[in-house]
Amino acid sequence: MKILKINTVIYFIATTFLLLNPFISQSQNSENLIPKDALTVFSINNISLLKKIPLDELINYEFMSEIHSELFDGSTKGKTIKDSGIDFDQKLNVFYGKSEEFEITGITFGIKDKKQLFQVFDDFQKDEIHIKDLEIYSSLFNHLLIKGNSALLLRVDPSYFTLSNITDSIWYARGYGYFYDNQYENMYSYDDYESELITDDDQIEKIEIIGDDLFIKNQLEDTTDNLFELTHKTYWEIKDSVSYVLQNQYFNSIIDEIFVQNINLVNQDSKFASQLLHHSDGIFYLDNSRNFERANGLTQFQLFFPELFNDMKELYTGNIMLGDINLKEKSIEVDFQANYGNDLGSIYEKLNSSKFDKNVLKYIHKNNSGFFTYNIDLKEGYNQAFNTIIPILQQEKDPRVSEKVLYAELMNEFINTDALFDTYKGSMFGTFNGIKKVKTTRIEFFYDEDTFEYGEIEIENEEDMPVFALGFSTNRADIPNKILNHFSRMTSRFKNMGKYWVIEDALLNSIPLYIINKNNLLIFTNDDNLAKNHSDGYGSNALSGKAAKKATKSKFMYGYFDWGIALGDLPREAFNSKQNEVLDAMKNKTGILELTSSKTTKSKTTFNLTYTFEGNFDNSGKYLLDLINSAYVLSR
Amino acid sequence: MFRKLKYIVSFVLIFFLMNSCIEIIDDISLNSDGTGTFKYTINLSSNKVKVNSILALDSLNGKKVPSIKEIEEKIAIYKEKIEKKEGISNVKFESNFEDFIIKFQCDFTNVGFLQKAVKEIVIEEDKSISEVNHTWLIWDGNKFIRSAPKITSQSTNNLKNEDITELKKGKYVSITRFDRFIDKSENSLAEISKNKLNIMIKTDPYSLSKNVEIIENTIHLTPKKQP
Repeated sequence: MKILKINTVIYFIATTFLLLNPFISQSQNSENLIPKDALTVFSINNISLLKKIPLDELINYEFMSEIHSELFDGSTKGKTIKDSGIDFDQKLNVFYGKSEEFEITGITFGIKDKKQLFQVFDDFQKDEIHIKDLEIYSSLFNHLLIKGNSALLLRVDPSYFTLSNITDSIWYARGYGYFYDNQYENMYSYDDYESELITDDDQIEKIEIIGDDLFIKNQLEDTTDNLFELTHKTYWEIKDSVSYVLQNQYFNSIIDEIFVQNINLVNQDSKFASQLLHHSDGIFYLDNSRNFERANGLTQFQLFFPELFNDMKELYTGNIMLGDINLKEKSIEVDFQANYGNDLGSIYEKLNSSKFDKNVLKYIHKNNSGFFTYNIDLKEGYNQAFNTIIPILQQEKDPRVSEKVLYAELMNEFINTDALFDTYKGSMFGTFNGIKKVKTTRIEFFYDEDTFEYGEIEIENEEDMPVFALGFSTNRADIPNKILNHFSRMTSRFKNMGKYWVIEDALLNSIPLYIINKNNLLIFTNDDNLAKNHSDGYGSNALSGKAAKKATKSKFMYGYFDWGIALGDLPREAFNSKQNEVLDAMKNKTGILELTSSKTTKSKTTFNLTYTFEGNFDNSGKYLLDLINSAYVLSR
Repeated sequence: MFRKLKYIVSFVLIFFLMNSCIEIIDDISLNSDGTGTFKYTINLSSNKVKVNSILALDSLNGKKVPSIKEIEEKIAIYKEKIEKKEGISNVKFESNFEDFIIKFQCDFTNVGFLQKAVKEIVIEEDKSISEVNHTWLIWDGNKFIRSAPKITSQSTNNLKNEDITELKKGKYVSITRFDRFIDKSENSLAEISKNKLNIMIKTDPYSLSKNVEIIENTIHLTPKKQP
């Protein structure tokens, strides 16, 4: 009874406190300024980690690039985040979102010193706004909104689809023909080109464009000016005007939602709200269900099959990724959950119900540099997907969909799915065993001393090659053998060596590929040692003990990679400058990256990614931002 | 799935295949009447694994990687363009995509036409290359002056140490052949063949890119024609 009373009193005080202090419960926290349309959010709880990071470095991250381009013109030079007036007791939230009409990018944060803040945001001019206690500052397309001690830095852009639709409508309504985006690009790229610009009065002016690009552009602009008066805008001018109007319209609607109606992501998505309560260094949130709904590639699908789109959308309901990032003394740990709705969850649950194929352990060397195992039961997953998705599709009356459903049903009847999925069960593994010298040939020129005439000679060459193996679980070794036998009859490049097969010059037209079809595994490798000497596995040198147990216990997938070995050899040309910076930051660190996963249930699969490193851990904030940036780039 | 697998494997492979060297041979045969033959050979066979892995990618360093078919089409376009140039004939392109050796050869009626043809082709591709105005072949009937534009020097200024090491492993061979005996040459690195009709300078692509004067030479010929 006493306990009940105390609880009631605490509840009463808490409720009163929250009701009487809306600022404390809502607006004063930076996270309450995240728009409901945000699909991806990275929230850093312990932002004191970022204090030492130079602002110049921060604004170079991809997640900042959308909003920083016009913001910072030297105002960040020589300053760290500590000097920016940000309140380190509040969370810093980076978000990206997309609706059918617009895309939004932004950051919300707490403010400790407004004066310092405006030394950084020095290009922002105060605007008028009629929302109580809200201040608004703008710089070109970026807006800084301040309420109390929290700020929202926001950029809103109309979606390409919406913008083009409205602009095209106006363009057609004015009597012009079809406008295609690269109309003028083509015009510049040809030496001689005749273009027709049709005026409102159906006057036709032919412009002959001859000569260099500058001349063409000037000619075009002059002619365009002459042809169109102020009331007759070009397509691009109309598009700019429409964009400006839409930007304002969407921006006003978003700020009205947040600051007048008090609608934000926290109070719209309980899963996000509950994730925010975690005491980790950072959290992230990715709403795949809304990503599906708003994916640009599905616009046509949505347009032509609205009912089917809605049904498929339901399949994705509740598909949200939630995660925690924790920075420890010698490691970074990322725990994340892939959440599903019932229907999709039932497919994943069946798909991931496969038992670990212990045969793979034989083929993973105990001194490997990296490997992964991936366990799925494709047959179970296929059956469940068939039973879940086909009934949805059967409801659709559109003849095109109905035809495809019939095909799928007939294929399901006629094809021996048992044989198919016994051959390719779905589970697989891969290993990376470092770099070896492999023998190739090259042509060298030799010169006659009398005449300096030259001829070609083929000589042996050695090139570095990463040694890998990729294996697939199978119960039907006879089927791959049938295929290999067929090819060996067709070409001498396929050779049956008894314990293994070899395909000459299969990789990059230079290196042999070996195929081991034994022990219920079909393995592809360029490791001649594995094929020739260990076609039944590495024996006592195979992965065993604790390392093997970890892989076996990790249900859906397991990954292990020793970063220290490979980072130095990455070809920098293949990455952009920012990615190269990330690689540089990691280059001097040696460490192990490990991914484990739980059993998949109807509602979720949980993953844990741990990066354990040796060496100095002098700037954990940098690591955190690198991680956020990578995830942000991947999630877009 | 296998296409994706091929892409992933190729991408992983390229991570480790940075050992590379290139061999280039430029070979000019000049007759006393000013006519001659120009040959240019690029040999990438020692990098064929790397070249193959690059070709398997869609893009590298943000730029589209052409397919072999596209390269062959481009070569055909160049061949057609060069064939139409004044004073140029007998144009041949040989491409061996097994070993990645590309050979170009053409006859010219005088070195002026050869230079004009090369300049026009370069300008058609990129108008901004001002170095193309450089005159690198001068023949006065008794003396042949060879030099090289400095464009390559500027393009290698930002190379990383690893790339420099690789370029140093490559070969650049410049050969000039005559139908008269060579009297003397002004480049001390040049080597005259035993029959005294040919002269060769060997260097590496990096050294050449840093100092084009390496292959610069003034070759004086004897008045006597070969027997």
